[in-house]
Amino acid sequence: MTVLETNELSKSYGRIKAVNKLSLKVEKGQILGILGPNGSGKTTFLGMVLDIIKKDSGNYAWFGGQYGAYSRKHLGALLETPNFYPYKNAVDNLDIVAHIKNVKNPRIDELLEIVNLAHRKDSPFRTYSLGMKQRLGIAGAMIGNPDVLIFDEPTNGLDPQGIAEVRNTIVEIANQGKTIIMASHILDEVEKVCTHVSIIKNGNHLASGSVGSIISDDVQVEIAAANMDGLKNILSNDSRISQLEEKEGKIILYVDQEFSTAEINQIAHNNGITLTHLVAKAKSLESEFLEITSKN
Amino acid sequence: MLHLLRLEIKKIKNYRPFQVMALLYLIALPASLLVTKSLPEEVGMFFGSQGFYTFPNVWRFLGYIGNWIGFFFLGFMGVLSITSEYGNKTLRQNIITGLSRKDYFSAKVIFIAGVSLAATVYFFIVGTAIGLVHANPFYFDVYTQNLGYIPRFFLMCFGYMSLGLLMGTLVRRTGFAIFIFLAYGVFIESILRGIHLYYTEHRSCIFYPVNAMEDLTPIPFPDMANEMIKEMEFHPFLSPTEAIITSSIYTAIFLFGVYRLLMKRDL
Repeated sequence: MTVLETNELSKSYGRIKAVNKLSLKVEKGQILGILGPNGSGKTTFLGMVLDIIKKDSGNYAWFGGQYGAYSRKHLGALLETPNFYPYKNAVDNLDIVAHIKNVKNPRIDELLEIVNLAHRKDSPFRTYSLGMKQRLGIAGAMIGNPDVLIFDEPTNGLDPQGIAEVRNTIVEIANQGKTIIMASHILDEVEKVCTHVSIIKNGNHLASGSVGSIISDDVQVEIAAANMDGLKNILSNDSRISQLEEKEGKIILYVDQEFSTAEINQIAHNNGITLTHLVAKAKSLESEFLEITSKN
Repeated sequence: MLHLLRLEIKKIKNYRPFQVMALLYLIALPASLLVTKSLPEEVGMFFGSQGFYTFPNVWRFLGYIGNWIGFFFLGFMGVLSITSEYGNKTLRQNIITGLSRKDYFSAKVIFIAGVSLAATVYFFIVGTAIGLVHANPFYFDVYTQNLGYIPRFFLMCFGYMSLGLLMGTLVRRTGFAIFIFLAYGVFIESILRGIHLYYTEHRSCIFYPVNAMEDLTPIPFPDMANEMIKEMEFHPFLSPTEAIITSSIYTAIFLFGVYRLLMKRDL
């Protein structure tokens, strides 16, 4: 089942195109990470599909459009910092969420236990720390046990402990087989949690796919020797090397996996060059991301 | 409908500024009329010899006082009910949580209608109580005179709250919205009407929103009013029917404005 489908969704602020013809498809059970630098249009995109930001053109449909204007009652969303009534305590605030979603038995105490806020459930929201507010936001998103959850920069502004707590909570939710759409600029976070990624920059959609398919099979090998020019000469004609660049006194080779470091060392040795440095690096989502976003 | 009304009631539970406004309304309405008891007798005579507190006069005097009190406190409640949600970003959160924009608008309208109704019921109770205490003796047919004030009082409350809602939605910041609301009601409209009168010298200058809502429960001193009528070439007050039609039209326009803003804006 398709959870969300967008078709050329666009939004401009004056001359700036915040989101430019973004088409995405999220299937049930996927954990999609929307990746992009700050200001790339992630929040604008999520804001549009949640109807708090008006689209300029294009369209979107949740669950194939079967719930019409009430599709958001079947989602749980936390966009940036959560907003609650500051003069109300955790229980009353979650009660309002349950009321809007028509959830008869919201099991508020249970949720507050999960996000570790039970001991402060009677304090007004305004007295909460940022981490507590964020956790209450997650509890709010989980009211009614929705099958689809949306998180926008869920760990933004949190201390390391808070980040770990929020991330664990998300992994726990993911393990329950729910669909999650998560926007983030923290790659490590996405790599740890997501099954799929979409990369956007300046509102443009650059790449999409499963995490495995985005990270290519290429391997990077860093080498160095006293005779750098000689080293470059002997390797520059090898067909197994797709790219060769010199950086900070090292040569970086982009090679396919069959070309082992042992072979590289052998070739250098046969040509009378002794390597002083030889490191193979599997590509991470981070390097792939930087590569994709810097190309465009 | 009840679902949305209950949502709004949950929101104002333990929201202090709103409760203070409601309490001030409840105190000020009877207090402002009863405080005239402390005036010297000659002043009382000047305003009309029939007394402020007996049927059917009590509706007129309490209605006129309620007009001022309603403008301030109910109007402020209209402003607060939306600016507080802009300020706390709970309007945005309500939509994310699942309320449709249309439902959000409906909830606000149902809520101000409910508050206006409660304010009107209170007006009716206070008027009846003051009238009964001062009735000597009580005649039922005298009691029922001027009861047309009661639906008009409701329209007045609802109109002021709609104006408050519009100002709140337009401006979004509580302090500034209240300032604009007050400024419009107290002098901007009077200036506009003055300019209108100066250029047209036509009776159309009284068909302005706050003026029309004021004339729903008009100034209750017929002698003073007659003086003014002599000075002017036209009748300076709207008849009850004119006031009802004019206020209803403006109220509809205000609410339509709120609706458009809520439907179109980024939140």
